[in-house]
Amino acid sequence: MKVTININGKDYSADVEPRMTLVDFIRDVAGLKGTHVGCETGHCGACSVLIDGRPVKSCLMLAVQANGKRITTIEGIGKDGGPNEVQMALSSSKALQCAFCSTGFVVVGTWALEENGELTEDVIKESFIGNVCRCTGYEPIIKALRGVRKND
Amino acid sequence: MTQETYELYRYLNRSIPRLDSEQKVRGELKYLTDVYPEGMLHGYVLRSTVAHARILEISTEEAERAPGIRAVLTYKDIPGINGYGAIVPEIPVLAYERVRYYGEPLALIAADSMEQAKAAAEMIKVRLEPLPAVLDVDEAMAEKVKIHDKGNVARHTVVKRGDVSKAEAQAHLVLERTYRTPMQKHMFIEPEGGYAYVDGSGVVHVLAGGQSPYRDKLQISRVLGISPEMIRVKNYPTGGAFGGKDDATVQIHLALLAYRTRKPVRLAWTREESGIAGYHRTASKITIRTAVDREGRLLSNSAKIVLDSGAYQSFGPTILDVSIETINGPYRVPSYLIDAYLVYTNNGIASAFRGFGAPESNFAIESMMNELAAELGIDPVEIRLRNILRTGEEGPFGNVIRNSAGLEEALNRARSSGIWRRANGSGWIKEGVGVAVAIKGVGFGTLPDYPSAAVEVIPEGKVRVMFTNPDYGQGVITGIAQLAAERLQIPVSEIEVINADTMHSPDTGSSSASRTTLTAGSAVVQAIDEALSKLRVEAASSFGASSSEVQYSGGRFMYRDRSVTIYELARRLRQKGRSLRFEATFEVPRYPEPVEGTLEVPHMMYMYGVALVRAGVDALLGKVNVKEVEFYADIGNVINPSIASGQVEGGVVQGLGYATIEEYRYSDDGRPLNINFTTYVVPTARDSPEMYVEFVKSYDELGPYGAKGVGEIGIIPVGAALAEAVYRATGKRIRDLPITPWKLV
Repeated sequence: MKVTININGKDYSADVEPRMTLVDFIRDVAGLKGTHVGCETGHCGACSVLIDGRPVKSCLMLAVQANGKRITTIEGIGKDGGPNEVQMALSSSKALQCAFCSTGFVVVGTWALEENGELTEDVIKESFIGNVCRCTGYEPIIKALRGVRKND
Repeated sequence: MTQETYELYRYLNRSIPRLDSEQKVRGELKYLTDVYPEGMLHGYVLRSTVAHARILEISTEEAERAPGIRAVLTYKDIPGINGYGAIVPEIPVLAYERVRYYGEPLALIAADSMEQAKAAAEMIKVRLEPLPAVLDVDEAMAEKVKIHDKGNVARHTVVKRGDVSKAEAQAHLVLERTYRTPMQKHMFIEPEGGYAYVDGSGVVHVLAGGQSPYRDKLQISRVLGISPEMIRVKNYPTGGAFGGKDDATVQIHLALLAYRTRKPVRLAWTREESGIAGYHRTASKITIRTAVDREGRLLSNSAKIVLDSGAYQSFGPTILDVSIETINGPYRVPSYLIDAYLVYTNNGIASAFRGFGAPESNFAIESMMNELAAELGIDPVEIRLRNILRTGEEGPFGNVIRNSAGLEEALNRARSSGIWRRANGSGWIKEGVGVAVAIKGVGFGTLPDYPSAAVEVIPEGKVRVMFTNPDYGQGVITGIAQLAAERLQIPVSEIEVINADTMHSPDTGSSSASRTTLTAGSAVVQAIDEALSKLRVEAASSFGASSSEVQYSGGRFMYRDRSVTIYELARRLRQKGRSLRFEATFEVPRYPEPVEGTLEVPHMMYMYGVALVRAGVDALLGKVNVKEVEFYADIGNVINPSIASGQVEGGVVQGLGYATIEEYRYSDDGRPLNINFTTYVVPTARDSPEMYVEFVKSYDELGPYGAKGVGEIGIIPVGAALAEAVYRATGKRIRDLPITPWKLV
């Protein structure tokens, strides 16, 4: 099936198998490897992307379902070519280790900040309910992000 | 360097961000499963769906003729030895004659597409004659069904000192208890994977998540039957490992497929495949009998330790050693008798997992200490203070305690903590606080260990540091760069690290046993000293002075009013065609001989930790809710406090998972039941307790700038501390982890 998906402001068109997942489209067709695959069952959250501004696990969606949608992946996140507030907070401390999950945390954290204007402990714990990190034990992530505000 | 200079470091004791953190948060760091080489083939592994069977037939003819198939390999196609394994090469690379666990690899396929590979796998004709699956260690030890011809006990050893029965006869109290711990899966977020290719000169390149590039290289060379020089292995970056990528995973299969097809091949396990075929922590059953006097002083300790190795050994023999070393805790134990078994079953393959046998034994001895304290009416911190070894004393395995002052201070800090007063449940929620201490050796004990590293001074203004212990998230790239900066007295921004690549670095060994700071750190410091001594001569000659008259500071050599930077000297050496690369080998200090009956006990360097866990238990639902954890640790001098405390916190939460919700299980016929995040549940942000980590002041002369190690210490005491908290809250002693609700209601 022919699909066109806008990823980070750029249209990617391809003739794909109906069973192709969105994450495979992002990684294999668009060649954007910052979106990681950790489980393919929607539990780990490493493949999180934003579709029309809302977080979605791209392993649980088919590429054909995303036809015509606007998607933001980790490669499309940032501010004026630099890291955004969430990226700054996560990189300036021990909030990441192996970081295979971190791109998913950045994507979801960016959405949570957009929604709430400020990241409180409750907002953080609620937002990351679908993101697994096996290295940090989470508290370093929570502490790094707590109090982060949107500053335009 | 002595303890007095503690406060004077410029680049140590500082929480600088990780050198690779910006790349990581921007998604720019390419993991080895993110690389899809041009023209690559897709690798696929056909696995057994029976736990124990005789192989009658594996026929690949039809599959070989299928469209898009470039190679189908079975054991017959292995050019060298069909065996690997970190300690004994007994694990078949591809099954031969017998299948011993569900998921054991039968055949490898390389195809133009994954669909073609899977279709071809269906065409492979496999005939297996099922044998009874042995899943329980007691059943295995009864030897009714033999998993290996030599029998089901992979290793048995007895380690003893003194007269235990005499000590027990004189004791005020002797307690005997049996404790069990489950298999635990690593559940790193990046499953095992990577790619391989053969270059124009015939060198086989294997780039895959791993923990020990030089061991991978050796294991690949045996299987391919070619010289290790014809193999290159790179393991950085790796998306988490925790021991689960220490022994080979995809590396040998990748090398076989690339070597056969002469094409680039990608092989990455799915999460389910990782769940089925990946390694896990040894399950343990430990019966311990401990004798004490009226004041709670230990008189003797007896233990029967049984570890489930699964179908093959991997690291089992040395894991058993660490269990033996851990069972006496950090305590004065005048006499002991340890009867230890490593047992084969058809439960996958157990291998290294953070703590490496220590969390298993720690749960037994530390639960025992808590039970003894309760029986005797002694405070649980006090009973430990009465028994811990002090500096200068000889430990139970003949090792002289060089620096356990840190443990005493950690216990004192734990005793005065406010956490004890914060346990105040209400209604159906009962709360309690539990304590446990941990001891863990750094490195390989008495086994010889000679890590090498290299530095190269780049005239353009960088010093390149090369070592092979992979950074799979621990932050070793950053920590070692800080050590290098300190030694060179130049900013960390001038240090560039090449990590875990056999093409660039000599063999520093693996990231395991909390050894990277000690091994890579010391070898890098020595390589820098080597570089500076050569550069000093060059500087002296340019000054017309003798090298003893030349001073070094901040990246430059000085003589009277003249000075020259290391980079200018490197430029001159390069013009003369001289090497700018300097290597050194560090000899890890060790006792010359292991204690009788062991392979590597004791260690010379130990880390210590004290965990305090406050937990609430819902008396109606049996649900355990961990509220806060305090952790006091002696890890030597701390290079990067933020990264180091992150290691403890991450370890603590893995330990809480292990103690409450994690348990890798098999069906009665040996099929793994929980192989993904849906069925094997790990802690999430909502489960994360408040954590407080404090490092007591400590300095170990054997380590680089007094540093020891940290990676494993956090996970070790968590189970026993939580079980004690639950006991304090409910009066129920849980002696088998995990502490699930149905054990409490």
